[in-house]
Amino acid sequence: MRNVMKNIVQKSPWIYRINAGSCNGCDVEMATAALIPRYDVERLGCKYCGSPKHADIVLISGPVTEVVKDKVLRVFNEIPYPKVVVAVGICPISGGVFRDSYAARNTLDSLIQVDVNVPGCPPRPQAIIDGIAKALEIWKTML
Amino acid sequence: MSGIMGYFYNLVVFPGGLFALAVGMFFAGIDRKIYARMQRRVGPPIYQPIIDLIKLMHKETLIPRTSNQKAFRLAPLAGFAGMLVLVTCIPVPGVFQGIGQLDNLLLILYILAIPAIALMVGASSSGSPFGAVGVSREMVMTIAYEVPLIIVILTIGIKAGNASGVLADFSLKSIISLQKETGSILSDITMVPAFIAFLCCIPGTLGAVPFDIPEAETEIAEGPILEYSGISLGLFKLTGWLKMFAVSALATVLFYPVPYGSHWLLSVFLFILKCLFTILISVTLVRATMARMRIDQAYKFYLRIPTGLALLSLVLTIFHVHV
Amino acid sequence: MSSFLKIILQNLIKGPSTEKYPFGDTFEPAGLRGKLRFNAEACIACGTCEHVCAGGAIRITEAEDCSGLNMVIWHNSCCYCGLCQFFCPTKAIRHTIDYHTAHKQEDKFNYAERGFIKTVPCSRCGKQIVPAAQELLEQAGNSSDEIKDLLSMCEKCRQKETVIRGALRNV
Repeated sequence: MRNVMKNIVQKSPWIYRINAGSCNGCDVEMATAALIPRYDVERLGCKYCGSPKHADIVLISGPVTEVVKDKVLRVFNEIPYPKVVVAVGICPISGGVFRDSYAARNTLDSLIQVDVNVPGCPPRPQAIIDGIAKALEIWKTML
Repeated sequence: MSGIMGYFYNLVVFPGGLFALAVGMFFAGIDRKIYARMQRRVGPPIYQPIIDLIKLMHKETLIPRTSNQKAFRLAPLAGFAGMLVLVTCIPVPGVFQGIGQLDNLLLILYILAIPAIALMVGASSSGSPFGAVGVSREMVMTIAYEVPLIIVILTIGIKAGNASGVLADFSLKSIISLQKETGSILSDITMVPAFIAFLCCIPGTLGAVPFDIPEAETEIAEGPILEYSGISLGLFKLTGWLKMFAVSALATVLFYPVPYGSHWLLSVFLFILKCLFTILISVTLVRATMARMRIDQAYKFYLRIPTGLALLSLVLTIFHVHV
Repeated sequence: MSSFLKIILQNLIKGPSTEKYPFGDTFEPAGLRGKLRFNAEACIACGTCEHVCAGGAIRITEAEDCSGLNMVIWHNSCCYCGLCQFFCPTKAIRHTIDYHTAHKQEDKFNYAERGFIKTVPCSRCGKQIVPAAQELLEQAGNSSDEIKDLLSMCEKCRQKETVIRGALRNV
């Protein structure tokens, strides 16, 4: 019964995007993955939601700059459990081209628990869909 | 079945409760599917609303520290309860007559405002500035779409009253029986503007795209339901789905309850088909073709076009009846 | 709105144009810059790629036992700009069209392309040197035995040898 429930529930992941100082490249690809008919993540039951309190999967892009760090943490803490974090692009994962900058001192995984990484600058929409599929597997174990 | 048990059955199973919920979820699923097809996407499966609901039950429910706890917790419940009463009142032509004293259009109009008011109460008790913006917009929207709705209902009341010899008859039972005798109200050309005005009001009532200004997720992060999560959000979604059924059923009952089948199963099937047609015309098609309006544009739109059309119908009807 | 209605009708008739991607096939354009592939045989360890790398993803370090050089390309820092591929003289470092980069957090630091460039001792003095790759010789165009002999030496021995040979030729 519990397994059946898990299988049902994992078909409705609502996605929330946090832009942690991103250049918008990854955000455009994320919007592409959602909106363009070719990729259409809605057929997996995904829905982009506007409020962090409705989210299940969080896509974070950008190098977590010093200015935006506290705000990212604040929004992240508003997301109810169970939640899965996907780092999109190389910036939140390793700092990417902004590594060792005075303005981006932390990688994302030094601040919060990251579950899936999707490197790329920016990653293809297919890679983001891959990342969401991997996040769903992790989400299933959390339920 | 009669008495308390009968009312209970009407509230929980048919036509309120389970039946209305199932149909409302089905409409929401169909709406999302067809919307996706209109954009050449595959879209979610039709049973997606059920999955969403089960998912929301499994989520943590957060209550903001700055909120008024009681109002915040009770608002979604109040909205849901109000909607449940409303769908119980709506008759299914050929199957269900409606509950004795409750089949009154004015009463239904009052109850239709309860979910919007509950949403306002919940949002303003959450203490979120986005919620406050959403509340003010929701208020403006409610005022805007209530005006043409009232005029349309008045027009139909006068038309029904003419048949039964009173000034205005707001009983749904007599509206249905009138159309059973003389055919659909829409066969009278003077009622077509009123019908169009009613169709214009449906997306406003449901908060669908050109009029989803209170819940604009890209602008004010879903506005009134921003702070809700878990099962409270699920209740708001449930209320929305019930509303979808209620409003389309209202359109069906008011404008084209006939023809209905001889067997109850056929009647229910035809009823659902008519409701679905209403939703597809007024919500899905409009949602796919239009972008979100600004609040002042929506307000002006409602007070010009639907109100004008409804007034035209009203004047023509009064002229037709009394002169 | 009326012009949209026409489009909507067309869309409804045409049907969805969505790819079945996570469950089916998709396409990769030919010029796609995907994950980097490294060919240790062709590498001459010039270090140009490490120098030009915008994301600092490439690192060349000496192995502990001095038997060669370790090449690590960390995909999680590569910004797919293609500079390394452009500047690599022997094209030892190439972009593939593989874009499947999503991975779980526990693989983060192992998600890299690795290579080991073997060094050989100089035929004169015995100092460890990186042998010249076949690709480099092909680019040079002239691969006579004389040059091959020179290539087996370290920098300093080669200078000496060239000077001596030149002197002998002039005499």
